[in-house]
Parts: sequence; structure tokens; C-alpha cells
Amino acid sequence: MVGLLRRVAAAAALAVPVAPGCAQITDSAHVATVSGSVRAQALALVTRVDPAMSARAFTEGYLAQPIIMAHGSAFRGALAAVLSLDFEGLTLDRGQLTPGAYGEGYADRRHPHTYLHEALIVGRGAFYRTGVSLAIGKGFVPFGTDDPMTRPFAAYPVNHHLAQILERYVAIGALRYGRLVVEGALFNGDEPASPGAPPDADRVGDSWAARVTARAFYQLELQASYAFVTSPEIADGAGLDQRKWSTAVRLDRPLSRVRSGLLEWARTDALLGDLRTNSFTSVLGELTLAVRSISVSGRYENTTRPEEQRLLDPFRTSRSPTDLGIIGITRWQVGSVAASMQRQLGRVDVAPFAEVSFSHPSAELTPTAFVPRDIYGSSSIWSISLGARLGVGPHHTRMGRYGAGMPNVTPRVPHATH
Amino acid sequence: MPRFVRLVVRSTSIVIAAGALAACDSDSTNAPAPFTGPALASLGRGNMNTRFMAEVWTRGDVAYTSTWGQRGQAVGNAVHIWRIGGAQPVLVDSLIVENATTLGDIQVSDDGRLLVVATERQNGSIVIYDLANPLKPTRITRYLTPNTTNGVHTAEVARVNGTLYAFLSIDPPTARLVIVDLSDPANPRETLVRPMGAPFVHDVFVRDGLLFTALWNDGLTIWDVGGGGKGGTVANPVQIGNVRTATFSSQVSGSEAHNIWWFHDAAGGANAKRYAFVGEEGPASSQTSSSGDIHVVDVSDMANPREVAFFHVDGAGTHNFSMDEQRGILYAAYYNGGVRALDVRGDLSGCTAAQKSADGRCDLQKMGREMAAGLQGGQRVYIWGVHFDGSYVYASDMLNGLWKLAATDR
Repeated sequence: MVGLLRRVAAAAALAVPVAPGCAQITDSAHVATVSGSVRAQALALVTRVDPAMSARAFTEGYLAQPIIMAHGSAFRGALAAVLSLDFEGLTLDRGQLTPGAYGEGYADRRHPHTYLHEALIVGRGAFYRTGVSLAIGKGFVPFGTDDPMTRPFAAYPVNHHLAQILERYVAIGALRYGRLVVEGALFNGDEPASPGAPPDADRVGDSWAARVTARAFYQLELQASYAFVTSPEIADGAGLDQRKWSTAVRLDRPLSRVRSGLLEWARTDALLGDLRTNSFTSVLGELTLAVRSISVSGRYENTTRPEEQRLLDPFRTSRSPTDLGIIGITRWQVGSVAASMQRQLGRVDVAPFAEVSFSHPSAELTPTAFVPRDIYGSSSIWSISLGARLGVGPHHTRMGRYGAGMPNVTPRVPHATH
Repeated sequence: MPRFVRLVVRSTSIVIAAGALAACDSDSTNAPAPFTGPALASLGRGNMNTRFMAEVWTRGDVAYTSTWGQRGQAVGNAVHIWRIGGAQPVLVDSLIVENATTLGDIQVSDDGRLLVVATERQNGSIVIYDLANPLKPTRITRYLTPNTTNGVHTAEVARVNGTLYAFLSIDPPTARLVIVDLSDPANPRETLVRPMGAPFVHDVFVRDGLLFTALWNDGLTIWDVGGGGKGGTVANPVQIGNVRTATFSSQVSGSEAHNIWWFHDAAGGANAKRYAFVGEEGPASSQTSSSGDIHVVDVSDMANPREVAFFHVDGAGTHNFSMDEQRGILYAAYYNGGVRALDVRGDLSGCTAAQKSADGRCDLQKMGREMAAGLQGGQRVYIWGVHFDGSYVYASDMLNGLWKLAATDR
């Protein structure tokens, strides 16, 4: 009995990040009682995109990703709670200029996320050598790679809607045996309609996902996942469905010179019944190196996205499409370099950064109603962002993984992120 | 370090191999099936390369075309006016609708006095013009209300018991039909607002006091609005019947009912008012591919309409219709498949076993009902609409402009 409790407590320790001043989390059977932690963070930045639209350069400033994250546990970790409140609906209603970004009614601007980003209850335990958990609430679906918010770039990649599924009512069952994690989930397929709009509770269970994650040596992690999403874009369920695949290798060695890396491939098929109407793919690689006290990151992605009619605001598309068509497919090749340096100012961690991207959009299907060169005024788009990430409280790693779905966590060195 | 490198290489290989495995199910080409019979001869084209052309309507020697979406820096906020007396349509003027990005439907009233233009997406409305001078329309009013502002997808202008109405299909999220009384065009009066469609109401057809609505996955619904003997009025339509039409592929569910034409054969006979044609708008990628069949619905029993036949083109899908009812010919815009002309006179539900599909419907193509096709095999086209004016067929090509085609005869 004591052994079981020890395993439960150890598992709970892996389910929640460290509290301020607590010991680090490891994958050992180290028993720690963790009561919880809170972190608040935001990204203040100025971005210039040239050209952003119609041969015009845009320069804008934002408070992006303002979020409060809270984790807590009780009963020695057998019961945990995750809460993330995202305030982009207040600070980023126009969207963040991001060439190639799309989804939820935005195009070439990254959309704001919902106020209630995550709110889950996680129950977990252990059965012999297998960790088990059940997470229920609103949050990330076990599909694809880590949320871009926790990765080393201010600009989200184009493939966000190919490589992650989030902000859904979800029930996730997870098993962890040694280095292997298996997760399965039921959720609602509809994408958020607005920052304040809840998912459609009537659609819970119309979509599902499964993910297998294996931890290898040298902090290498492999994942493969599949999801079937019912009518994500038409809320009443009559739109095209999606069949999604993702596979990735992730490297996380925050104490070494090569701090982190990611190589992912993702694909989404749009389906009408069993008929595939279109297919969208992405290959993305990221690498972060430590150069003295500076983190230098590079990213390249090659992603195709659907094009839809723009509204009077050329960065917006209709949330209520009137048919099952698209007006084109654009291939986005984007290379980015970012550098940041973290400093602690009292209780506040500050990471000034600079980020430069070059994007090359090209029509994947021709003829097309969306000719990138004509729409943007060029097929070469430069972006530069300057700013700082600000945060208070301990870093929360692996956003979007819950309970036994959290692979063994590498010790997080302070200032290791962007 | 070598071990680390080996692990990275091995892991990368797994990712790439998994990706390649999942990607091997590649898309096939989607070229429309060519028609090898008679051609609808192309007489001329009025070029439009600065905006995407949408719908076309003609009256006399004048054609009006609308515009759609964004082409380069130009948005679909223009109405183009064409002289069509010669072989080649000639652009003579244009109208700009402010704060609009897509003008969908365009139609002249049956008395030739009004031009009605729908504006879609934000600021959905209809714009009403006076056609006292057909080449110089003058705006009477723009009708924009909270019930239209989400976008007017189509606007059908029709007369019911002597009164002229516009039937507006409003975009979701709350798809609805709005009917507007145009007796006083300067002061349109809202007569009906009724949510319908799953999830869209796309278009309607009005004739003899009957309203036919294309309700996407809810198929075709027939309403009495004053001529059906069920007590219905324009202000209170009474449903008579419904049919959920089939789809172009057995892999697909839903009806995708998009547009309708209730055929009145001028030759008369037992089948004169028996058929309604329903256009199906399947998935498409403008301006590369399209899908969707023409569905033939027997409406001889309006309370129990049933689909009896269909017409399918491999690699292309239908859009809007126009008819030569004197000759019993249906002209259908077929996007990347050009224009198709079908002989729809007579019994369309009587066919041999070899001419039937697995579900028992007659296949008009196997029945040899395709009479002619236009805009085949040459430059790429993407035909939005057709309009038969009694002598010629005008086709609005989103990519290239306004085509004038010779009509076919029996």
C-alpha cells in the first residue's frame, strides 16, 4: 500500500511543474508532494512585415500570449487541476501579423486564443508499473507537437492548425509504461468561434485522437498521432471533416549546447464523407543552440494551407462559409532565426529577443483565385520582430500534456526558454 | 557523440518514413471528361481579366455581370455592363458597390425596369438600380438590414400574384430566407424572415405561386406562396414537400442542393411541368476543380417529390442553369467543365436497365441526353453562370470574361 502511494505521489510530481522554490522534477521514483504553481507571462513585441498585404508594409505592436497558468494537486497527486487563462481576446483582437498564419477567421494574422485556454481535472494513479490517468475538461487534444507558445519563436508557424488541436472539451485517457506513453481522447470537433465562445457541448465525442510517445536516449522523444475531427470549420457539424496525422522527433537538452530541436511532419486531409477533397502537409524543423548566454534558434517550414475568400478586412475570412470549396492552396516556405537572452530582474524573468523571418508563398494549384504575388505584392516577405518575453513564476513545460500523458520531464534550467 | 548522431539520424528516418507512408495516397488528376459530340460554337468573348466574373443576366442587347472575391488588388465590387448585339460582347460601363467584396447574383426584373444585385459577406444587401437607360443604370437604393448583413448569397427576383419580390438567401451562421416586397423599389419592405437550410439556403426558384428552395443537406423543399392551394402566402409559406437529392459520389453524404429550375416545357404534354432540376455544388477548388451533379426531381406529386434521374460529368461539377423552354434544352454552367446542353424534353424517368445507376436512377448521359457542350478543350475556363436570351447562350467565365455561344437546336 505504501508502495502504491509512493508511485501515485511520484506520478503526481510528474503531472505538475514545480512550485516556486521546489525541487526539480525528474523521471525517477523520487517522491515529492507538490501543491501547485502559478506563472504569468506575456510577450511584448513590435513586428514589421514587408509586404504584409497589397505591397504595403505593416508595423504593429502587441502584447501577445498574455497568459496565467496554474497547476495544482491534492491527495498527494492523485487529483490535479490545470488552468490557463489567455487574454489575447483583449490584447490581440486584430490578430498578430504572421505571414502564412490562418484559421478561425484570420489569415496572415495569427488568431487570438480563447480566454479559457485550459481547465482540466486530472485523476491519476498507477497499476503495477503502468501509470494511468484520466483528464477531463477543456484543453489540448493529444495530437501532434507541443504548442508553439512553449517553443522558442514569437511567431507561430504556418502549420499550427495542422500540428495541434486545442481549446476543445476533451476527455483523455493516458497510459505510461517506462518510456512509452499512449493517449486517447474524445473531443468536440468545432473550432473556437471567438475568444469568449465555449465549444459546442452537444458535439463532445464527435471527434477522436490517439498519440503514442516514446522517450529515447539523449532526451530524444518520438511521437506519432492521428485524429479524426468532425466539421471543425462549420460549427453545426455540416462542414468538411478532417483526418490528421502527425509524427515528430523532439530533442530537449536544456543543459547542453544543443538545447532543443524538433523535426515534425503533419498532414491533414479534408473529407466529405469518405471522399478526400484536399490535402495539406507540413514539414517543420527547429533547432536551438546555446551561444554563451544567448539562445539562437532556427526554424524552417514547408507547409500548404487552404485559401478562402477574404472579407473587407483582407486579413479576415468568413467564419460561416457558404459552400465546401476553397479558392486555392498556397505553399509557404518560411525560414526564421531568433536570438534571445534571459535575465532575472527580481521575481520577473525577462528575455529580450530579436526574430527575423523570410517567407516565400507560391500557388500549389494553378490556375488559382489566390495568386500570392498578386495579393501580397511580392512572393518574398520579410518579417522582423523585436521585443521581450516577461514572466513571473516557474516555467511550465509541455503545455497540453496531462497526467500520465506527460513523458518524463527533463529538468528545466532557469532562463532556458526564449 | 556518434551514438547521439546515430540516434538523431535513426529518429529522423522514422519520421520521414512515417510521413512518406502516410503521403503515398496522393491526389489524382481531376480533368473534366471531354464531350465528343456537337459543340456550342463560341462566337466571341468580352475580356475581363482584372476581376473575377460571377453571374450574368441579359436583357435585349445588354448584359450585366457581377464580380466575385479578390483578384490581385481588385475586389468583387463591380457590376459590368456589356453591349452584346455583336458577336463579341463589348464592355461599355461599370458600377461600383461601396464596402463590398463579392457581388453574387444579378438579375433584371421581368418588366425590365429594375436591376437587382446581391452583395455577399459583410454588409450583405441588395442594391436596386433603375434601368430606364439600360446602359446607364442609376441606383435607387441599397437595402441592408440586420437580417441581410451577414451576406446575401443569392437574390431571386420573381412575381407572385402580380407583386414583385426579391427572395434573398442569407448566409449562415443563421441561414435564412428573407423575402422583400419591391412594389416600391425605393422602399423595399421586408415580408418574411424564416431560418432554413442545413446549414445553408443557397438559392430559390419561384414560379406559379410555388417556391422551391435549395437547402443544401436538406435538399429541395417546395412551398406554397400563393399558388399551391395550401393556403400559403409570401408572408407565410406553407411547406408542400421535400426531397433530399442524391450526391455525385457514393462516398459522400448530404445533398449539397445549390440551385433549382422548375421546367415548363412549351411543347406541353404529360411531362410539361413534371421535372425540377437541382444543381449540386460539391467540393471545389477554384479555379482548378469542381464536383456535383444535376439531379432530376419528379414533382408531379408536389407533396412527394422524388429523384428519378441525374447527369454527371467526371471531373467537373455544375453551377447555375438557364433554359430554352421552347426547345426543351437545359444549359448548365459546369465550372472547369465549360457549358453543357441537355435535352430534357419527354420522359426522363424511363430508361433501360443499362442506363440506370445502381440506385435505380436514370443516367441522362447514358440515355444520350447530352446534346452539346461549349468551351471544351481550349483555354482553361471556370464557368459560373449561363443565360439563354432566346437566341444565344452567354456564359460568365470567372477567369476570362463573358462568352457568347451559339445555342443548339433539336
